[in-house]
Amino acid sequence: MTVTRAVLTLAMVAAMAMPAAAHHTGVYAPKDNAITTNFRDVKFSVQAGKFDVALRRFDEGPLRAEMRARAEALPPGLESRTRAALQARDAAGAEQGLMVFFIALAQDLARQADRQLAAGPAAPVPIAQRFLEAIWRYYNLVDFAVAQRHPATSTAMRLAYDDADSAVRAAPAADAARLRRTFQRISEILEAPLAVRGARRP
Amino acid sequence: MTTASEPAWRLPPRAVLLAAILLLLAAEVGGASMARYKLELGRWARTEMLARPAVHGLVGVRDVDERILDEALFRFDAGLRLFHMHAEGMALVVIATTTVAVTLAQGATTRRALVLLLTVGGIGYPLGYLLWSVLIPVLGVERGKTVAEWLLWLPFGAATIAALVWLSALIAVRMIRR
Repeated sequence: MTVTRAVLTLAMVAAMAMPAAAHHTGVYAPKDNAITTNFRDVKFSVQAGKFDVALRRFDEGPLRAEMRARAEALPPGLESRTRAALQARDAAGAEQGLMVFFIALAQDLARQADRQLAAGPAAPVPIAQRFLEAIWRYYNLVDFAVAQRHPATSTAMRLAYDDADSAVRAAPAADAARLRRTFQRISEILEAPLAVRGARRP
Repeated sequence: MTTASEPAWRLPPRAVLLAAILLLLAAEVGGASMARYKLELGRWARTEMLARPAVHGLVGVRDVDERILDEALFRFDAGLRLFHMHAEGMALVVIATTTVAVTLAQGATTRRALVLLLTVGGIGYPLGYLLWSVLIPVLGVERGKTVAEWLLWLPFGAATIAALVWLSALIAVRMIRR
């Protein structure tokens, strides 16, 4: 009888512990960073036909500063071409410039991920996961523009992302070599839109 | 109107009231400090996180790391806010539920056990949020949560829930017997 009571008490305490484990700890909604916020400002101003606003946002915002800071790694004249398009009220040209910029950022991240994974980190999966999130965050901003201009790239990128995501989710079985291949693939895919009109710096 | 068959409300032991008031005080001081030292707290947390890149999975690339730091800082702030809110709420819950327990529980042992579980559980549970916040910059979001869970949330949360179920059963039995 005493044993039964003890078992019942233990079961009750265990059952109590389960809802206690369901304490809420807040929901994190990822925010835009300064560059992506500025991109949205410029993009929506262009879509609304307010090119003077778009140009002002571009001139004063971190997007242009980042284009200048990364000028060496970007297609030559990208920043000045994008600005000229905004000045000329050329929505397609401005969109093209911004698209190339974010593709270059995503490709740069894919290359950095590959380099870090090649160094043989102790925990490759979390590193790969974080790089993948950052790549998608940038690429996703311009996927619509990519799909219009380079539909094959857009499809290939989505497949490559799914593949990379599966590789990351296969943890702990995921091996650094497989993860590296997925980032190399992403980098190769993103080369196509950058190579247009000899955009890539030699 | 209170009749002989309807006992008047009894006060819980003074130690319980003191513990609840102290928790309420901690909640208010915590809330005020969060507002007054928001920048300092954020700066401290960020510095501690940057000093432990491996713990937080920082990779040294701004575009990647800024999201990780932003989420950890959000959780750090959320932990402090949740401590403030839970401490305020649980202090009142302790006072209310122990008052019910000392008024309705008949056996001295049952009364003492209920008051102990409700008080200890109610006081300890909100402290888990404070501990989680403090641990985030040092151990990371998930490891900090696991430690807070096992040290405070699970034992104290379970104590409160068990006591509340027990108290509900007691009240139900008394209603049926009446």
